[in-house]
Amino acid sequence: MADAGSPRVQVERPLLWRPSMAVLLACIGFLVVTQVHNVWRIRRTLRIPSTQLEELAFSLRNQERNRAALETQVAELRARLADYEKAAAESRTSAAGVNRQLQDLRALVGLTALEGPGLVVTLNDSTRPPKAGEDPNKTILHYSDIAGVVAELWAAGAEAIAVNGERIVTSTGINCVGTTILCNTKRMAPPYVITAIGDPRRLGQYLRRPGGSLEMLAAFDFPVRLTPYPRVDVPPYRGTFHFEYAGVNEKE
Amino acid sequence: MWLPVVGLILGVVLGFLFSVEIPLGYVKYTAIAILAAIDTILGGLRAQVEDRFDLSIFLSGFVVNAAFAALLAGIGDLLGLDIYLGAVIAFSIRIFDNVGFIRRDVITHYLKHGR
Repeated sequence: MADAGSPRVQVERPLLWRPSMAVLLACIGFLVVTQVHNVWRIRRTLRIPSTQLEELAFSLRNQERNRAALETQVAELRARLADYEKAAAESRTSAAGVNRQLQDLRALVGLTALEGPGLVVTLNDSTRPPKAGEDPNKTILHYSDIAGVVAELWAAGAEAIAVNGERIVTSTGINCVGTTILCNTKRMAPPYVITAIGDPRRLGQYLRRPGGSLEMLAAFDFPVRLTPYPRVDVPPYRGTFHFEYAGVNEKE
Repeated sequence: MWLPVVGLILGVVLGFLFSVEIPLGYVKYTAIAILAAIDTILGGLRAQVEDRFDLSIFLSGFVVNAAFAALLAGIGDLLGLDIYLGAVIAFSIRIFDNVGFIRRDVITHYLKHGR
């Protein structure tokens, strides 16, 4: 049977073999040329091998996000500039009124440097070396100590407060990351100098009251110094305010 | 014998004429397609030399292997794992195997012919 079938198959085979090979080789030729073209193009334009494309894509996405943030900032600044220009174009009297109101609001929010009589609280890590076996956490200041003093200063009637030159504003959080204290996302190290504008005598009395946080700190041998001044400077807030989720409630 | 060569030249010319731009993420898919095609060509050549060429096996081998390699590469992309390297290695091993068999077949063929 094989002998009978073989001549027919022998004739048929080349007919099948050559065209199919030719088609596939055409595929290969096309694909190889296309691939080499593309790899060269990538290498030429990006100057990196195509295997590192994903890292590049990652950094590209990051840059795009940054750029979008910067663009919104530019748009905001332009809008503000337009407002200013409009205000300048309007009559001088109304501009002056608006300007005074604006300056008041800026001062209240913390965007202007302020000065006045006040109190400077200096806190530092405990000078006492930790005893053997004692938790060293007990000899260093924590963010909660700073936050406590700031809260007590507000409670005593302070009008503006800065910690190590960082203005305390509505969005300020005093927190810690590892061993450093963060205030307005700025890293801080001891000594912590808390400057408050207000009646120096009243602020001092409130802070020294029994059961206050300063009494606690003094009990743990932390050096605490209160110095009233006839004039202290509080720097402006240098960060930005940004509402991403919050909007003004029109009903109020 | 000239028809396959004509096909190859035609493919190269087409590639130069229509310079298709492959998106950056799909470069490795075409690389796998090329490997699958080379693997199929060598497999077909070997079958032809050994006188057992079958068109349906030849073409289905190309299509299924390429599709499966693309599937592996896609799954690898989803998992963040370079699984397509497995397909690359498998194709490469098969290509070397087939080259070895073709070499052996051709040598034995010519030695027999010589004698």
